[in-house]
Amino acid sequence: MEKIKITLTINDKLREVNVAPNDTLLEVLREKFDLTGSKESCGEGVCGSCTIQMDGKPVRSCLTLALEADGCTIKTVEGLANGDQLSDLQESFINHGAVQCGFCTPGMLISADALLQNNPKPDEKTVRKALAGNICRCTGYAKIVDAVCHAGSPDNQCPDCKTGQ
Amino acid sequence: MSDYTIIGKRMPRVDSRAKVMGKARFTADLKLPGMLVGKIKRSPYAHARILNIDTSKAEALPGVKAVVTGKDTEGVKWGVFSYTRDQQFIQMEKARYIGDEVAGVAAVDEETALEALDLIEVEYEELPAVFESMEAMASQTEPIHEDFPNNINVHVNIETGEVDENFKRAHYVREDTFTAPEDSYFMAEPYAVVAKFDYDGCLEVWCPNGGPHMKSKPLSNAFKIPLHQVKIRKIAIGGAFGGRSEICPADYICALLAKKSDKPVKIEFTREENSIATRQGHAMITTHKTGVDKEGRVLARETTCYLDGGAYVSTGPIAVSVPFLSMEQVYRMESVRYNGYSLYTNKPIRGMIRTHGRCFAAGLDTQLDMIAEHLGIDPVEMRLRNVRKPGEYTNTKSLVGSCAMDETIHKAVVTSGFKDKWGKLPPFHGIGMGTNAVQVGFPMGIRGGSQSFIKFNEDGEATVMSGVVDNGQGNDNMLVQIAAEELGLLPEDIHLVSADTETTSSDPGSYSQVSTFVGGQAVQIAAKNCKQKLFEVAAKVLKVKADTLVAKNRLIFVKDTPEKSISIKKVVRISLTNFNSVNAEGGYWPKVDMKREWVSNPYGQMCEAFSFGTTIVEVKVDPETGQVEVLNATACQDVGKALNPLVLEGQFEGSIAMGGQGGMLTEYHEWKDGRCLNPTMLDYKVPLACDMPTIKNIIVESIEPLGPYGAKEAGMSIAMSAAQGYAAAVSNAIGVYMDSFPLTPDKILAAIKEKKSRPQNKES
Repeated sequence: MEKIKITLTINDKLREVNVAPNDTLLEVLREKFDLTGSKESCGEGVCGSCTIQMDGKPVRSCLTLALEADGCTIKTVEGLANGDQLSDLQESFINHGAVQCGFCTPGMLISADALLQNNPKPDEKTVRKALAGNICRCTGYAKIVDAVCHAGSPDNQCPDCKTGQ
Repeated sequence: MSDYTIIGKRMPRVDSRAKVMGKARFTADLKLPGMLVGKIKRSPYAHARILNIDTSKAEALPGVKAVVTGKDTEGVKWGVFSYTRDQQFIQMEKARYIGDEVAGVAAVDEETALEALDLIEVEYEELPAVFESMEAMASQTEPIHEDFPNNINVHVNIETGEVDENFKRAHYVREDTFTAPEDSYFMAEPYAVVAKFDYDGCLEVWCPNGGPHMKSKPLSNAFKIPLHQVKIRKIAIGGAFGGRSEICPADYICALLAKKSDKPVKIEFTREENSIATRQGHAMITTHKTGVDKEGRVLARETTCYLDGGAYVSTGPIAVSVPFLSMEQVYRMESVRYNGYSLYTNKPIRGMIRTHGRCFAAGLDTQLDMIAEHLGIDPVEMRLRNVRKPGEYTNTKSLVGSCAMDETIHKAVVTSGFKDKWGKLPPFHGIGMGTNAVQVGFPMGIRGGSQSFIKFNEDGEATVMSGVVDNGQGNDNMLVQIAAEELGLLPEDIHLVSADTETTSSDPGSYSQVSTFVGGQAVQIAAKNCKQKLFEVAAKVLKVKADTLVAKNRLIFVKDTPEKSISIKKVVRISLTNFNSVNAEGGYWPKVDMKREWVSNPYGQMCEAFSFGTTIVEVKVDPETGQVEVLNATACQDVGKALNPLVLEGQFEGSIAMGGQGGMLTEYHEWKDGRCLNPTMLDYKVPLACDMPTIKNIIVESIEPLGPYGAKEAGMSIAMSAAQGYAAAVSNAIGVYMDSFPLTPDKILAAIKEKKSRPQNKES
C-alpha cells in the first residue's frame, strides 16, 4: 500500500512519518515511535486504554487513522512527565494507590489530564463521568477517582484519603 | 503500636512509577530482532472430527515462515492432574468448541499471517454438540471425550455427619435451586506471548502468567526437554484474576512456531480470542437443601452442584470442590452431603475467576435469608448463629486457626447502619449482607512451597530472588516490603528478581491466595537468615551478643543502646573482606495434609489459614426499568494482618467491582449454539467509574500465628461476599428472593411483576 508522509507534534517534538492509509494512530505511535505506553485492549474504542490527546482532546487512538492526525499535536503518557519529574497527576496516582496492574493507567492518566486542564478542581461526580470511557478491572476506580480529585493537593489538604499516614 | 518500620504502612507501590510513565513493558510491547507474527487457526464448529488439514497453500505464501498442526507436536496432553489430561495444545482428531486450536502460522507481518490462516484448508465432519450441563448428561450421542460417558467428567462426593437423621429432626427444611451462566475476566491486557529458542535448545517465553513455574512444567513436558531449558521471563502483567494460572495452548503454539521458523514469534490475542480461548467462569446449577433447628442453626445440608466445565477439564476437581469449601469454611453445619459434578460441554474451557463459585455462595446466603425470615430471625443474627468460630474444624477436617468472622459482621453492621435500615427502608430500597471465607492455599504437592534467595551487594543493598509473580495485585511490593523490614533496609535498597524460572526457585504462583502466606513468608525467612549472618559479624565489631541486635534504617544497633551501631554496608564489607557469606536462603512449606485429594480423599488439613469477609450493600431499584443503583458498599475482611493498607484497600475495592457490581448485576455470557455472543467489551458489560458506589473499607486483623507478620490474604473473601451482599440487597429491595444470577433488569422486572400478581403477598 502506498505510504503518505504526515507531520505530527508528539510530546512537544515535531516528527515526520510515512504511513499507510489504514494505519491507526495507535499503530504508528507504538510501532514507528516505540511509544508503547498507549495500549490496545479492546480494539474497538470501548476501553480507553489507547487514549491519547489530539490537540488537547482525549481521543481513541485505536479508532483514529494516522492520516486524520496529520498536522496535529499529540500527547501520550510518555509526555506527561518532564524528564524524570512526574506531573502532579502522576504523583497523585502513585501516592493514592491508583495503580494496580497498570495496563489501563496510561489511558486513564491521559483522560484525567485532559479533564484537569479544563477543570483543575473537579468534584467526584465530574471525575467519574470524565473517566467513564476508561475501563479498569483491578481497582474498582475508588483510588483512581481519589487520585484525580486530589492531584496537586498537598497531603494535608486531602481529607478524604489517608495518603502519607 | 507495632515495632515495624515498613510493614503495616501505606507505602506506595514500587512498580507504580514505571507504570504511570508508560515505561512498564507488557508482553505485546516486546520487540525482538527478526520477530515474526503468530496467529492461530481455530475451529468454527463446536464439535467436529478433523478429517484432513492441508497447509500446502499457506506454506507457499511468500512471507510465511512456519505452519504447525497437531502433526508437529509430540502429542502430549495437558491437565493439572494425572487424571485430567485431556487437552492437546493443537487438536488432531476432534475440535470440541468454537475456537479450539487446529493450526498455527508465523509470518513476517500480521496481514500475511492472517492471509495464511485462510489458506489452511481443514476438512471437518460435524458432530452433534451439547451446550448445557443437563443436556450433556442426558446426551445419547458421541461423548465429547470417549472415556467419559454422559460427559460426566468429575464427581466429588463429600459426606460428614448424620445427614438423613438430622433432616428428620430438623424444625424447618427447605430446598432451592440457583443458576448462573458463565462470566469472564476481561483483564485489561489481552493475552499475548513471545517465544524464542536459543542455539542451545533453550526456550525463552514472555507471557502473562499466574505463576511462571506453572508454565514451565507443561512446556517442558510438551517439548520433552528438561525444565532448565524452559525460561519463563518476568514481564508486567495486566491482570489475571485466576485466568492465567495455567498453560495456554497459545504458549505452546507460539513456541512451536519459534522452533520451526528458528525466529522469535509473538502472538497477540484479539479481545474476542481473550474471551473465548483463554478461560471463563463456569456456569452453575446448584441445589441447596437445608434443615435447621428452631434457632436457625444448620443441622443438615445437602448440596448438589453441576458445573458446565466446557471442552477440557483442566482444574475441574478444584472447580467442583472450592464452592463447597467456601461454604464449609464460613458456616458451621452439623452434617453435610455434597455432590459436585463437572460436565463436559462443547463450550470454551473454564477456570477459577477470582475464586470458584460466587453464585453458589450467593444462593446459599439467599436461602439463609429465606430461612431466617421464616423463623423471624434477622439476617445478622442468623449469620452470627451459624458462622465459623476460631479453633473449630471444618466438616472436611481442617482446623481453623485465626478467625474474626464475628468481628467482620459486627463492624460491617455498625459502619453500614444495617440495623437502622434493614426492614425500615422505603419500597424498592434495600440492604443486604453476605459473609464468606476463603482458604489460603491447599495441598499443591511439589509446587506447594516457595523458596527465596537473598544476596547482599558490597554497597549494602540487597538482591531478593523469589518465584512469586505479580499479576497487578502488588506482590512485588509485598516482597520488597517484607525484605526491607527484615533486613533493616529501605525499600529502595531492595532489588527484586522474581517470576523468572531460570533464576528463581519453585513457587506455587499467584494461586489460591498463597503469594503472601507462602511466597512472602519464604522471603521473610530468607531475610531473617541473611540478617543473622550480618548480626554475627556486627556482634564481634560492637562487642555484644548477636541476639541483642536489631536492624533498621540501614543500621545494625544494640536494641537497648541504639547509639551503639554500625551501618549495614560496613558489616557487608567487613564480611566480604573476611571471606564470610552474606547470602542466605529461606523456604516455606505450609503444613497441610498431603494425603488430602480432591476426589479420592477430600478430608484432612486443607491449608494453614482462612480469611473471612462480610460485605453489606445498599441499593435502590427502579421498578419501571429494573435498573439497580448501588448507593454504597461496606467491605470488611479479617486479613490476619494488613501488610500495606493502601494496597489492601485497592484489593477490597476491586473485589467489590468484579465480585459484586459486575458479577451480580451485569456480567455474563450469552450463547447461541456454542458461539459466545458477547466476547467483546462493547457487549460484555463491566462496571465503569460512573457505576461504582462509595466503598467503605474495614480491615480486621486477627494476626494469624502461622502467617508472615500475622497476614493471611487480601480481598478474596470480599470478592465472594460482595456477590452475596449484592444479591441480598436486591432481593431485599424488591421483596423477592432471586434464584437466577446475575440480577439483570429483565429478571428483576419479571420478579416484580410476578410478585404483584401474587394474591395477598406480605413478603419482606
